[in-house]
Amino acid sequence: MTFSRFLLRRLLMAIPLLVGVVFITFMLIRVGGLDPVGRLAGPTATAEEFEMIREELGLDQPLWRQFVIYAGNVVRGDLGESWLSNRPVLTDLKERAFISLELLFWGIGIGTLIGVPIGLRAAFRPNGRFDQVSRILSLLGFSIPTYWLGLVMLFVFFYLLRWAPPGIGRISLMVSPPDFVTGSYLIDGLLAADWKAAKSAVAHLVLPVACLAIVSAAPIIKQTRAIALEVLSSDAVRYAHASGLPPRTVRQLVLKNSATPVVTFVGTEITGLVGTMSLIEYVFAWGGLGQYGLNAIVRGDFTAVQGYVLALALFSVVVFLVVDIIVNLIEPRSELT
Amino acid sequence: MSLLEVKNLRTHFMSRDIDNQIRVAEALNGVSFDLEAGKVLGFVGETGAGKSLTAQSICGLLRPPARVVEGRVLFDGQDLTAMPSEELNELRGAQIAMVVQNPRTSLDPLTRIGDQLVRIHQAHTGGPLTASRERALEMMTAVGIPDPKNRASAWPHELSGGMAQRVLIAMSLMNRPKLLIADEPTTGLDVTVQAQILDLLKNLTQRFDMAMIIITHDLGIVAHYSDEVAVMFAGTIVESGPVAKIFEAPSHPYTRSLIAATPERLQMGSGAKLGGQPPDLYNLPTGCHLRTRCVFAQNICTDTPPNREVGTDHFAMCHFAGRLPESGA
Amino acid sequence: MAEIAGDGFERIQHSERPFSLKNRLIGIARVSPTLAAGVIIILAFGFMAVFAHWMMPHDPVSAYAERVLQPPSAEHWFGTDGNGMDVFSRVIYGAKFGFGIAIPAVMLSVVIGVPVGLIAGYRGGMLDEVLMRFFDGLRVFPSIILALAVVAATGQSLLNVVLVLGFLDSPVFARVVRSEVLALRSSVFVESAKAAGNPTWRILFIHLLPNAVQGAMAQTAVRAAWAVRISATLAFLGIGIQAPTPEWGAMIRQGAEFMVTGQWWVALFPGLALIFLVFGLNLFGDGLQDLMDPRRRAAT
Repeated sequence: MTFSRFLLRRLLMAIPLLVGVVFITFMLIRVGGLDPVGRLAGPTATAEEFEMIREELGLDQPLWRQFVIYAGNVVRGDLGESWLSNRPVLTDLKERAFISLELLFWGIGIGTLIGVPIGLRAAFRPNGRFDQVSRILSLLGFSIPTYWLGLVMLFVFFYLLRWAPPGIGRISLMVSPPDFVTGSYLIDGLLAADWKAAKSAVAHLVLPVACLAIVSAAPIIKQTRAIALEVLSSDAVRYAHASGLPPRTVRQLVLKNSATPVVTFVGTEITGLVGTMSLIEYVFAWGGLGQYGLNAIVRGDFTAVQGYVLALALFSVVVFLVVDIIVNLIEPRSELT
Repeated sequence: MSLLEVKNLRTHFMSRDIDNQIRVAEALNGVSFDLEAGKVLGFVGETGAGKSLTAQSICGLLRPPARVVEGRVLFDGQDLTAMPSEELNELRGAQIAMVVQNPRTSLDPLTRIGDQLVRIHQAHTGGPLTASRERALEMMTAVGIPDPKNRASAWPHELSGGMAQRVLIAMSLMNRPKLLIADEPTTGLDVTVQAQILDLLKNLTQRFDMAMIIITHDLGIVAHYSDEVAVMFAGTIVESGPVAKIFEAPSHPYTRSLIAATPERLQMGSGAKLGGQPPDLYNLPTGCHLRTRCVFAQNICTDTPPNREVGTDHFAMCHFAGRLPESGA
Repeated sequence: MAEIAGDGFERIQHSERPFSLKNRLIGIARVSPTLAAGVIIILAFGFMAVFAHWMMPHDPVSAYAERVLQPPSAEHWFGTDGNGMDVFSRVIYGAKFGFGIAIPAVMLSVVIGVPVGLIAGYRGGMLDEVLMRFFDGLRVFPSIILALAVVAATGQSLLNVVLVLGFLDSPVFARVVRSEVLALRSSVFVESAKAAGNPTWRILFIHLLPNAVQGAMAQTAVRAAWAVRISATLAFLGIGIQAPTPEWGAMIRQGAEFMVTGQWWVALFPGLALIFLVFGLNLFGDGLQDLMDPRRRAAT
């Protein structure tokens, strides 16, 4: 199967998921108690004004028609307008996507770089001192509320030590942000050779990234350990041992054979970590997609919620696609289907 | 001097149960045997009798909670039980090679088979890569893999079970071993392939002058392919000797029942079948471990039976060895 | 080769020995120290939840206007918050919410998830396919976003939080039970029960359930940890339970602004309490899985 056919097939397979997601969120919001009209109209509005707004938003139509209209708009790329920002939802999403991706990339990247070696080392000596300690730390990582960790970090590194900038935004208020290219101040700053902006951007990234890395490392440690233990007890590794391959070679064999399940696991974790990331964005006033989504949900901005949910679904479709491609590169057994 | 001399090998599993009590499974209870260079020794017995465990104890492949608590293993004059693990690791796959029962999963799934052959040669023999590659092709030809040049670049998952077993045998031959341990080498294979693999193993031992231990629960395999037989039961070799003598004059009740339980004999309507469960290794009967299931058992069987010599090089561990009634088998 | 452990372990037969509770407890603690530690932490919090009224030095919701934002002292061990309420008393009272949400939510998940998993696994076919696709679809979303959206859309009461968490987490149990049932479906005892003319419900609930439910039970503690965490997160975001209710998440929300102005005690202590309870539940859950998986136990 050629690569383009594979891509096409996967995108077609994603359609039912996306339609289902749009449908369920639409129904949930409409059937649920969120009536935006009252909020929009204000306390002094008359009954006629209420009706006018309902008509304007198409809320007077039957539910199924509302859905058909909405779905039609979505297909044309029109996600509606956010009441909070008074701008097209699609524009909001596009602007914020990269801001969140940057945080997610560094956080999970560093979390993986910490978690995988620890998990592997623990597996090579199960129930040794290192394994016990890492197991406790990983369980602790599962238990720490992300937002609380962010707050404690702000207290220690901003309030007490004055090492970190305040937890507001992605760049110092004293520094003018670089021209918009990707949306990441770090990359844009580097592209524009604006070192001051890039430096400030890095300083703002440190705490939220550390938070996300700590929280994402916990499950990665646990799962990597389990995967490596499984591989260690596989026939292949036992046979390698029985045929006297040097310990270094056996270790490489274990690493290689753990790669596929670890990559797959990290992939499935990424979509889950979007929730964690949203909370971190909320605490650090990051202004990315996560914070946008949380705000939209909490404040009942339902066109924005729908757009956000659709973006999440699309994101996980892409992540799983990338995981499959990576696995295919590692595994001689797998075929892209 | 024998190539391999195993003396009174005892391997136990030690663990603690949920009530914090130490529990010991006596899996090997004093296994002793000799193997001359170039000979084929067959180990038979039921599952759990300790055949594979004997092989693993010899090669230092035990994992906790199993460990050798007593005994010596002399290979080529060196004591393997006293050998540091790095040295033993260098010996494994070089002088002592193994062929195992799940060839397809035992190969490294992410390395082409040619590279695996080269890797094991490099690990033990070293030398230029070209020499290792040549040796790999030579061994693939020796084990009857057609078109070895092309096959060398195949992935393990592309091979049939029989072909994978040939690859595994080729791997075991790469470093000119003196001893080959084949642990149920044909268990998962088609019947037609089984005979091919066993014939191949037998031919290779002669061609390369290796000794071989075949571990199996199939008496037919032992009868056909080995020079000597060791019958194992509950972690002990209960009868051992040249293959012809064992089948002509089985002298231990357990051996008799094994022979009587082969399909041909069952058809002939032989008696002396053995009932009951394999013994509980945590709680072995005193004296003869078979006595609770043995039709010939007497009071004396609560004493540990002697290893009686019932013929030249033919031993049986039974109080009544050589004096059992002729009927039954 | 695969026989190594099997050689001795497959035939463990317990010899007759008088049962000793002390030895059993020591044994369990040895096999799984995490389980023992988890039990101790959970019991401590359980005690706090039950006897909160005797342990609290102050009323958790009465505000001392003259004692706003006081640092920890002999009178107020954990200081006072922005309303002048005693943080120590509030932290103790918060344990009631931890258990009060987690226990019913997990029970609800079990009550929904187990029968769904039983039926889906036993019947298979279209029903199973649709259910599994639906569960897969749910996994696209981070659980916190899902919980937040559903609670926001369906109403913000304590009861609703419990219902939503219980409902959203039921697929976990459905999956575990389903996979067990799939493995058991064609086993001899089910086949013979069918041949003996047992009705389907009897096979499901009398024959399959007891055999399939163990794996689900091992999950309960970890899922309770999840429920405690998520419900606190919702409260932190201002959804569900609202301040000044002495719930840990809501307390952290109240204390958030003071973290950057130096009044660390308002948010720190409820956070620590939350961590300890969730950690205890996770330790317990991890230990349970240890005990139930003989492979993990054999390595110990």
